[in-house]
Amino acid sequence: MDLNELGESLIQGEVDKVAELTKAALDKGVEVQRILNEGLLAGMDVVGQRFKADELFIPEVLLSAQAMAAGMDVLEPALVGAGLKLVGKIALGTVKGDIHDLGKNMVAMMLKGAGFKVIDLGVDIPPEKFVEVVEKEEVQLVGMSALLTTTAPAMKTTIQALEEAGLRARVKVIVGGAIVTQAFADKIGADAYGEDAIAAVDKARTLLSTV
Amino acid sequence: MIKSSYTTYATPRFRILSDDQIHEIHLASLEVLERTGVEVLDDEAVELLRSAGARVSNDGKRVRIPSYLVEAALRTAPKRVTLCSRNGERTVPLEDKKVFFGTGSDTPFILDSFTGERRRSKLQDMINAAIIADYLANIDFHMGLGLPEDVPAETVDRHQFRAMLLNTKKPLVFTAHDEVGLSDIIEMAAVAMGSREQLRQKPLICLYAEPTTPLCHSQTAVRKLLLAAKEMIPVVYTPAPMSGATAPATMAGTLTVSNAESLSGLVIGQLAQKGAPAIIGGSISIMDMRRGINCHGAPEQHLLSAALASIAHYYGIPMFGAAGRTDSKVVDEQAAIESALSCLTTAFAGANLVHDVGYVGSGLTCSYDMLVMSDEIIAMVKRIMEGIEVTPDTLALDVIDKVGPGGNFLLQQHTRNYFKKEHWIPELIDRNTYDKWVQLGSKTLGQRVNEKVKRILSEYLPEPLAKEQVSEIDAVIARRERSKAD
Ligand code: B12
Repeated sequence: MDLNELGESLIQGEVDKVAELTKAALDKGVEVQRILNEGLLAGMDVVGQRFKADELFIPEVLLSAQAMAAGMDVLEPALVGAGLKLVGKIALGTVKGDIHDLGKNMVAMMLKGAGFKVIDLGVDIPPEKFVEVVEKEEVQLVGMSALLTTTAPAMKTTIQALEEAGLRARVKVIVGGAIVTQAFADKIGADAYGEDAIAAVDKARTLLSTV
Repeated sequence: MIKSSYTTYATPRFRILSDDQIHEIHLASLEVLERTGVEVLDDEAVELLRSAGARVSNDGKRVRIPSYLVEAALRTAPKRVTLCSRNGERTVPLEDKKVFFGTGSDTPFILDSFTGERRRSKLQDMINAAIIADYLANIDFHMGLGLPEDVPAETVDRHQFRAMLLNTKKPLVFTAHDEVGLSDIIEMAAVAMGSREQLRQKPLICLYAEPTTPLCHSQTAVRKLLLAAKEMIPVVYTPAPMSGATAPATMAGTLTVSNAESLSGLVIGQLAQKGAPAIIGGSISIMDMRRGINCHGAPEQHLLSAALASIAHYYGIPMFGAAGRTDSKVVDEQAAIESALSCLTTAFAGANLVHDVGYVGSGLTCSYDMLVMSDEIIAMVKRIMEGIEVTPDTLALDVIDKVGPGGNFLLQQHTRNYFKKEHWIPELIDRNTYDKWVQLGSKTLGQRVNEKVKRILSEYLPEPLAKEQVSEIDAVIARRERSKAD
């Protein structure tokens, strides 16, 4: 089966069609790994490249990401069945005292589009909540967003809370938001900083390869 | 002589929307409030709305507001709000199409005028910002221009306010963490004005709080709104929508969402206290679809701001706009273009309380240079807004006849009488001859602006508050810090 159509449909951001084509491919007995690599991921790579070249715009990329996520939903049982690892799982939230969520939501959409499982905790999330999720769910990554000078320190408190709960070694921490800088991320002991949603995906992938 | 139906334009005229279009957006906003409703995350506000006749969803959050409640709020909200300086002068009458420019709030970073680096904001930066704002002739009110990292986070809003209150006498538009922060700030302002009663008589301060686009009223924001209304402290309760992201990609849709948010805030405020002074409008713009930033200098921002101003005029309620800001990271050509276009458009539009002068880097960074350069831009804008006076004397027929063909007007008394009145005299804009410009060091506008910043900071001392008042203000902060520490 030609997986180009799947990739092309994903590039066009056709959410329903991507789900249908993924299902059709599975039904035809195409290897899961091939559907993922040659169909979905191949399409998403093109989207990523075109976005970086300023040929595609955010709404287009996010729609493709959503199409990717729809394909992944269809594919997931088969992936698990074939004993293949999902890309990764991340718990994401805006830190305590902060209700800015647009940036965090965009990061969540892009990560889903890259095949990540995203547990979106929402806004105003206290350290305990992050700790709880890391304890309960098998996440490899914790992502925190903060847009206020006054809430950025909560990122540090959350990292400390993970340490105190003995969970720090289990996860990699990635941070972002308009007031966060690489220097700040280093200072608070985060593992990575992403300046935007695209960087978030790149960094999350790199981190994952080190988990 | 008798003249019939003669019209004079005292200022240039400018319209973005026709009366019909404004009315259409008004109706659409009412429809949003009735059909979609807003989320209100505060029990007291929900109760106020419910008992006034709004429909509340079973989970107690989604409130659908019937049009008559909006009409009622529009009737009771005052048509004018006057802000006063610290010495009681009624300098900022927000009414009709009177335009006032001021700085913006809470920037996490500052573009240091001395080193050129972008770094995190400190308390001293806020003190300096207030001194410069106090000095500049075309800045009418001050908003702080910083959120310092070197004071305790729990009381940072009080420290911000103190830096503003002590270093400028201009009216202050401030942000507060929450209700408690707000009440401390009201107390500090009352000390400066003499008493709570004096503060009411002479409103020095105006709260800035925001609904969350699209269509949500967070609990913290609503608590502050309610307290301000009850205390009759003027409040700017306006959203920061980003067209395409938190609001529709269309301009009309973005205006409708924002207006629905402002109006629902107005309803809540007026239900808490009829006649509570309120300002609508907003920091309205688009999201850049390549980089995902909230555009601070886009043409759509000026267009949307101007349209919001027209909508506010239709209601007869004072309006909060934005200008003198840029997406550029430094004070460069882009910054100058974006500042100039926005200042001129908002002035044309007659927005009342125009904030954010001095922002660079899409609202994340403050720059004294940007502020000082924009002050000069506003001076130019003011000249344009003065329009052209057409009278027998300004038509100058006698002097035209006297000079006649081939002469010049330099020696005429008429010229002497009028040139200072009719010609704007620049301070920083360069009009030297080439040689003179070289003699003066071949400086760019940016360099001249930077020199002025440094001159103000080394020479200008704002009028101080009395020592006893300062200690009382400090006591308010100290008391809060002790109680937080316990
Ligand atoms: C919209 C907005 C709001 C809206 C938020 C609506 C919402 N649903 O999010 C409202 C009106 C509610 C709001 C409220 C307030 N705000 Co506000 N807000 C903004 C504004 C204008 C834009 C933010 C935005 O959405 N940008 C667009 C998104 C896409 O960008 P982003 O969030 O930065 O995200 C990108 C990257 O940073 C990165 N990223 C983000 N998160 C993460 C996470 C990870 C893991 C990674 C890798 C990457 C990453 O990827 C994203 C996509 O590219 C900014 C100014 C600005 N220019 O940023 C002020 C701003 C952040 N707000 C500010 C302030 C002060 C406030 C208030 C305190 C004001 C008040 N006193 O009432 C309140 C605070 C409420 C609270 N407790 O949180 C200040 C912060 C100042 C400071 N020094 O901390 C700013 C800078 C404005 C200013 N100059 O005053 N705000």
